Amino acid sequence: MSERRPAETHPTTLSRRGFLTTAGGAVAGLTLADMLAARQAPAQIKGTNLRLLIWSHYVPAYDVWFDKFAKEWGDKNGVKVRVDHMPHLELPARYAAEFAAGAGHDLMYYAGQILTGQYYRNLVDVSDLAEGLGKKYGGWLDAAKSAAQVSGQWYAVPDFFISIPVLWRKDLFASVGMGEPKTWEDLRKAAGQLKAKGHPTGMQFSHCNDANHNWRALMYCYGVKETDPTGQNIMIDSKEMREALKFAKAMYDEGMTPEVFSWDDASDNRFLASGVASWIHDAISAFHSTRLTNPKVFEQTFVVPEVAGPGGTWNVGEPNVWAIWKFSKNVPAAKEFIQGLADSQKDAMQASLGYNMPFLRGQYTKPMPYLGNDAKLGKLQDQEKITAFLGFPGPMTPPAQEVVTTFIIPDMFTRVARGGPIEDTMKWGVGEIRRIYAKHKAS
Amino acid sequence: MTQASPGGPPPPGSISVAIGGRVRDTSWWRTPTARRYLFGYTLLAPAVLYVGLLVGVPFAFSLYLAMSDASVGSPVARFVGIENFKSALENAVFYTAVRNTLVFTIGAGILKGVLGTTLAFLLLQPFKGRKVVRALLVIPFTLPIAVSVLGWKWMFDSQFSVINWALSRLSLIGGYGSPDWPVWLGQPGLALFSVMFVNVWRGFPFSAIVLLAGLTSVPPEVLDAAKVDGASFMQRFRKVIVPMIAPILFIGSAFDTVFTLSDLSIVYLLTNGGPDGATEILPTLAYNTGIRGGALGRGAAISLFLFPLLLPAIVLLLRTLRRRQY
Amino acid sequence: MAAVMGTARTHRHKELRRHALIYLGLAPFLVLAVFPIFWMAITAIKQDADLYLMDAVPFWFRQAPTWKNFDFLFHHTSYGDWIVNTMLISFWVSAITILTAVPAGYALARLRLPFAENLGIGIFMTYLVPAIILFIPLARVVSTLDLQDSWWALVVVYPTFTIPFCTWLLMGFFKTVPFEIEEAAMVDGCGQLGALLRVVLPVSWPGVITAIIFSFTLSMQDFLYSLAFVAVSDQKPVPLGVATELIRGDIYFWGSLMAGALLVGVPVAIVYNLFLDKFISGITGAAIK
Repeated sequence: MSERRPAETHPTTLSRRGFLTTAGGAVAGLTLADMLAARQAPAQIKGTNLRLLIWSHYVPAYDVWFDKFAKEWGDKNGVKVRVDHMPHLELPARYAAEFAAGAGHDLMYYAGQILTGQYYRNLVDVSDLAEGLGKKYGGWLDAAKSAAQVSGQWYAVPDFFISIPVLWRKDLFASVGMGEPKTWEDLRKAAGQLKAKGHPTGMQFSHCNDANHNWRALMYCYGVKETDPTGQNIMIDSKEMREALKFAKAMYDEGMTPEVFSWDDASDNRFLASGVASWIHDAISAFHSTRLTNPKVFEQTFVVPEVAGPGGTWNVGEPNVWAIWKFSKNVPAAKEFIQGLADSQKDAMQASLGYNMPFLRGQYTKPMPYLGNDAKLGKLQDQEKITAFLGFPGPMTPPAQEVVTTFIIPDMFTRVARGGPIEDTMKWGVGEIRRIYAKHKAS
Repeated sequence: MTQASPGGPPPPGSISVAIGGRVRDTSWWRTPTARRYLFGYTLLAPAVLYVGLLVGVPFAFSLYLAMSDASVGSPVARFVGIENFKSALENAVFYTAVRNTLVFTIGAGILKGVLGTTLAFLLLQPFKGRKVVRALLVIPFTLPIAVSVLGWKWMFDSQFSVINWALSRLSLIGGYGSPDWPVWLGQPGLALFSVMFVNVWRGFPFSAIVLLAGLTSVPPEVLDAAKVDGASFMQRFRKVIVPMIAPILFIGSAFDTVFTLSDLSIVYLLTNGGPDGATEILPTLAYNTGIRGGALGRGAAISLFLFPLLLPAIVLLLRTLRRRQY
Repeated sequence: MAAVMGTARTHRHKELRRHALIYLGLAPFLVLAVFPIFWMAITAIKQDADLYLMDAVPFWFRQAPTWKNFDFLFHHTSYGDWIVNTMLISFWVSAITILTAVPAGYALARLRLPFAENLGIGIFMTYLVPAIILFIPLARVVSTLDLQDSWWALVVVYPTFTIPFCTWLLMGFFKTVPFEIEEAAMVDGCGQLGALLRVVLPVSWPGVITAIIFSFTLSMQDFLYSLAFVAVSDQKPVPLGVATELIRGDIYFWGSLMAGALLVGVPVAIVYNLFLDKFISGITGAAIK
């Protein structure tokens, strides 16, 4: 890549602004084709087939970009690429079938449900690829290793994560004399006052993906630890967890209506778009879709990266990683594809309208694609500093995953919101979690 | 070699041997009985092989899974005996799932029976437009489950439910946001009822058709004889009609029960077992634990749990029916 | 004369009253069965934004009705492929089902084989084996046959749940065929197989039609197997395609979803209805005799 290095500028001859612009311009000047050409694609992958399975992105425009990227990459490298999309909740079933069949896609995607720990014995060791990317782009976030490593070896390559900030209605908050919410208490107060005016809030108390994330965000902000950093010892049976449960009950009683018990992942989006919601805790896909369906509401909708609790400020991200089956017949092409996609991260993030948050530190230089140019979303550029993932502070292990898929946390919060005694709920929930971890340890 | 047969004419072929005269000790394989068996089992072979290989063998595999600590990434694992079944019993949600499964199946079954019977009686009558009515009534059954359930999901929506809209316009309930606005999929009892309701909505046309079949098969002479004897409608119903349609009722319900017990889609698409297990049934629990959670062994154990209970029940049912026919 | 006229009028009145009572009784059932369909039809031609207006009447239109959802269905998804796939899959599955279930049903019904009763019970048992576990070993079968991601995989797998029920159904039909016909054919020198083909089958074609319709309908219900075995968009059957590609995370394309459902469901319902009488007589025979 020697000819393409951005021109070295002496700091004294150019203002800092000029330097940034030049460097930025030099990078921007590198088109996709240039970047691909600059990397020596191994000749051995020419004429081969590559099959990818990836989720259906919540921002449809991204899938359009991705499919186009895959085709162009394929054309450039002489590889016939086929991309299949599937809703992310159904991916585990498909992977179970592929594994049993010993055949399927070459390159697959774990979206939200991290199955690295389940399948690592049958995944290609991609440490060389991952380490390379880490070196090139300023190192991985710590959480990235949790989703992709087993015993220090990389079996998956993290792609991006989804952050779930707070989307709030400035006009409604102003009507009760409140400005931007800074803490969960603020959110609770606002919801309580606005519910009386017909503008409650809602967070899912049901068996859905968002329920798992939203309540964990509250938990972590209250200082709750699911396990210790090794992931072996369960630490959720704590005073902080009881506080979090108490708070959730209060917030429900004061600021929500019973409809939240039937909500699924899309219900809060609709709630916001209908104009009723005073605030929701949701990914920015809701932000983007409200722009289309209810421009009036959109005008008044603003974004806060996360609000603080007594235990700090933690946002829960949903991680997405790539993995390659050992039985794949085209491992080199798969690796090359991951590399190529990582190199095009800026285009990808732009195409996702700022939805895809990087796992690589170097990709957080501002201005970030899309987020850097949007007044309302700008603060999300610092999201990685406050992002935690399921199992926090422990890694995303199979037992942590099973706790997620059996909805134990949402159930605990649901019971308490319904008026169940906190101690009984704790006993049940912690008991279930311990049972699951014990089962996984035994095998 | 002739044979005494329990019912129906003697098997063809035996006559010719007797008439043919030479009654001698032929090897068994050349007897008509043997030929009949050979013919019969040959005819059976394709079906038995197909189902045996594609269901029987996988079933044996799932039994093995249920007794091992297999996970999705390593299905060849240690044998653990009934560990998984015991583990299922330790899970409080399991009991909820069993209870819900039974309530769902029995409740839906009863509703379908009642609605189906009433509808069948109505359809029995000759009237103008009967064909059109029948055509309309079968549509719920012919729409693919996945799509019709999604339609119901929207109809039960907590904000935009068309049912609630209609009910509130008729002043039967309050408006959106009032305490009596039903959250069909959110209130515990109501949620279970709603998923049951979708199952009933899909199934009652089928029940009606099956019952109609039974009712049309009751020979009118028998009914007339009962009328002549002075039996009232209820007596005629209980003593004549019910016994005659009982076999068809039982068989229809048996199949329907079995289909309902293993159906995942309605609950999965509407509530995925929530809120807090209010609609958790064994199939969804098994799926979330075994497939999405990766614990194959435990998932298999959960989904096979009812099998040992149902097997004897169905055997008993079918044996009783057989005996009633003769 | 007057007396005759009086009777005619009373008769007409009685008929009218009878009809009125029947329609009254039927009304709730019709509303129950048809109202969701009607509402799905309205939703299919509604604009998206119209769906989310809280004060609008769901049964009618605030914004002008549109064919956009149908257009989306056919131009932005592989719906056309899905319909063709579904029809082809159902056709082949019905064919396989008939080819296996007809002989099996006949054998169990007529040939007084030992173990027939137990096999009859075994038929029920296959439905108790849950698909959520079955699909894993079946995935191996599908890939061994090199059919992964092709709709042919479903043609192989679906008969596992159509054959048992259709066998039972056909058993019933065959039991209603009088022995005399068969006997006569065999006396004429037909042989057992000949009798089956030349006499029994033609007489019980309503049963065969019934079995075909039933396996057709059952094939369209599956979701899990198609999810596990078919990932490629243009190979999907309608239920899988609609459920996976018209729902993207938080966004449900309700209009197109409903359109997709109706386009495939209503024609099948019409065909179903044409053969309903045969279906009814079939089930009668199956259980009674």
